[in-house]
Amino acid sequence: MNDFGAVLRARGLSKSHGEGQSLVRAVDEVQLDVPAGRTLAVTGPSGCGKSTLLHLLGGLERPTAGEVWLAGERIDRLSERALARLRRRTVGFVFQSFHLVEELSAAENVELPALLAGRSRRAARRRAALLLEQMGLADRARHLPGELSGGQRQRVAIARAMANEPLVLLADEPTGNLDTAATLDVLRLFEELRAGGQTVVLVTHDQRVAATADRLVSMRDGVFVDDTWMAGRGSGRLADLVGLED
Amino acid sequence: MGRILLVLRLVLADVRRHPGQAGTLLIAITAATATLALGLSLSGGTEALYRQTRDATAGPDMVALSPGADRKTVTTLKSLERAPGVIAHSGPYRQYYTKLTAHGSTGAAVVHATGTAPARVDRPLVTSGTWVRPGGAVLERGFAGAMGVEVGDRVTIAGRPMPVVGIAVTAARAVYPWGLGIGPGGGPSDGGGVVWLAEPDTRALAASDAPVTSFINLKLRDPATVEEANRHDPAWASLLGDTWVSTRSWQDIARQDFVIFRDTQPILVVGSWLLGFLAIGGVATLAAGRAVKQARRAGLLKAVGATPGLIAAVLLAEYLTLALLANALGLTIARLAAPAVLNPSASLLSAPAGPSGDTVFFTTVVAVAVALLTTCGPTVRAVRTATVTALAGTARRPRRRPWLNGLSALLPIPLLLGLRLIARRPGRAFLHGCNIAITLMVATALLIMYAQPVEGYPGSPMATAARIAQERHILLAVTVTALVLALVNTATITWTTALEARPTMAVARTLGATPGQITAGLSTAQLLPTLPGALAGIPLGILPFSAGEVTAPPAWWLLAAVLASLLATAALTALPARLAARRTVARTLGAEAS
Repeated sequence: MNDFGAVLRARGLSKSHGEGQSLVRAVDEVQLDVPAGRTLAVTGPSGCGKSTLLHLLGGLERPTAGEVWLAGERIDRLSERALARLRRRTVGFVFQSFHLVEELSAAENVELPALLAGRSRRAARRRAALLLEQMGLADRARHLPGELSGGQRQRVAIARAMANEPLVLLADEPTGNLDTAATLDVLRLFEELRAGGQTVVLVTHDQRVAATADRLVSMRDGVFVDDTWMAGRGSGRLADLVGLED
Repeated sequence: MGRILLVLRLVLADVRRHPGQAGTLLIAITAATATLALGLSLSGGTEALYRQTRDATAGPDMVALSPGADRKTVTTLKSLERAPGVIAHSGPYRQYYTKLTAHGSTGAAVVHATGTAPARVDRPLVTSGTWVRPGGAVLERGFAGAMGVEVGDRVTIAGRPMPVVGIAVTAARAVYPWGLGIGPGGGPSDGGGVVWLAEPDTRALAASDAPVTSFINLKLRDPATVEEANRHDPAWASLLGDTWVSTRSWQDIARQDFVIFRDTQPILVVGSWLLGFLAIGGVATLAAGRAVKQARRAGLLKAVGATPGLIAAVLLAEYLTLALLANALGLTIARLAAPAVLNPSASLLSAPAGPSGDTVFFTTVVAVAVALLTTCGPTVRAVRTATVTALAGTARRPRRRPWLNGLSALLPIPLLLGLRLIARRPGRAFLHGCNIAITLMVATALLIMYAQPVEGYPGSPMATAARIAQERHILLAVTVTALVLALVNTATITWTTALEARPTMAVARTLGATPGQITAGLSTAQLLPTLPGALAGIPLGILPFSAGEVTAPPAWWLLAAVLASLLATAALTALPARLAARRTVARTLGAEAS
């Protein structure tokens, strides 16, 4: 996939809940192209449909109408089994609540996607050690999630999402539960991922986080109301850009 | 008063919200207490039925029998009317050993020659039809039931067709087909059923040289001293002279009535303990599965100002109330089932008599103990958990098992997921294994019973068949109950595991696990403890029989039982596992995050 091809594409993507008077259009006729290697931030107030959009793009929910294409394959019609297999290789998820498995250590959490993808234990362990090293958590590998700070837990979650080198990283409010210092840590990681050519779609209601993306889409009542490409991204210091440092 | 009402309202609200769990608890404890009550009622129960029948039929305190019907024998028996302590008598009568045919089947019969008027001692109670009249036969109720005969049917006695005019019960003889008495020639009786005929109708039997015994029914001034009325008493010895006379006291007859339960009582008592274990397993599973919700509920109550005492009362009251209700249900079932269990041949009167006070006390203690033992821990934990922790639902996190997690990483995905689910709650897996072991233990005992060659009373195939049938019916009932409880427990454990593992499994799905792998993982988590449980259950089921010489059932029967337990677990697991796997990931994770 080159820089000019859309690794993720949505056409007329809709998701509604309820019927008649109680019909809610969480996502309404969304058109979207996410080029490879770019970071897209989706912002908007709570309940505007950001998370639903992310779930639709990652195949965690089925659309009511429209199409989703991932890496050139239409995924909205795939079976659950095929979707799961696709997710193994092409999608990594990061959630606001981390969703780490509480009884597994940080390293075991990061190993899990590789094991599910059929890699050997040794390969999975090696990859987990490398990722935790990159996340600055090598000394926390044997700790349980409950023994880690919020920022550390989110970094473990990001490492887990990157375990199978996915084409797209989907992050749902990745800093929503973090304090300022931890937010800065996570943003630095996203900056590194962007610099490394990782395609990222992140959903946030925090404008400072959104400002780190190449492209910013604003959502309201299930539709895109603004779509902006950020010029000159990557030239300045991240902290200056998002105003998190004194 | 207000506080009690509040507790009751909270308990009722919780039962309404979780009717399935309340139902499971009821089923588990009811089954255990019903079986226990039946087991405990057996010995006392048969004696009570015998006493009722004895009172209703003016049953004799002693029956004296002597082979033959010659003058000397009859005179000797008649002389016992004058024996010390005898206050009333009936007879001497003759009883002939012959065959009765009805509806194409033939059974051994003991024909009593009797009068058409009621006697002073031993007045059989007619439960259907009328008493003996010339040309009409009256059959003992147990015998009539075994032969499928009703009033109005025609039977053939010693080749002579005759209508059945009545069906009656008596306390002068032990229950069919265990009637004690001496047979023709002085040997043991052949367990035939009693048929009463008018004296003139028995003349044909006398003429045909059918084996005959004479007997007299005696009533004593002090029935408790009946065991002393024998040849060792000089007065009795002088009356008996050199005539061979066998005596049966009313205690002998009552004891003989219990023979039928000699093998079935252990089945019921041991079975009730096994069912009790299954009940404890089921209730413990329920309690463990509800621990997080209970902790959250306790947190909510604390947050609105409830004291620890009130919270403990609310949490315990539900289980205690349900346990007491289940105990009442179990005792009611035991009372209703008692006639069929205690009086299988229907040879005694079976007026409804509830379990004794001791039995009620014991089963109540057991039911309350089951409820307390299994709920005290979760309740104390819920009460002691900090309010914020309880509200967050993080009070009871699964423990980490590094070696098991490491081992599972080497295995295929369903085994990996299954083992990690077991690692989360190993106690529950152990409980499930125990449930299966107990079920297989009972099933193995049943198979061994079925594998035994039919050996019984010489010359009495009816008695043998009845004994075998009685044992097998009871064992089958215990096994079916155990199977039902095991199925309920397995379903409960699976649902609880599936519900608890839902967030983790949803995360696994975001990481690429397919719904099929999730389903297989949840099934594996149940099947892994099932296999050792089943394998342990078989030797445990064989163990009680190891002391005696038993015929082992074919190995494939036991193998089939193990396979059946695995298949049943897989089938029971499939539905909740499939449902858990079908729930959308976004919905599960959303619910977890909120």
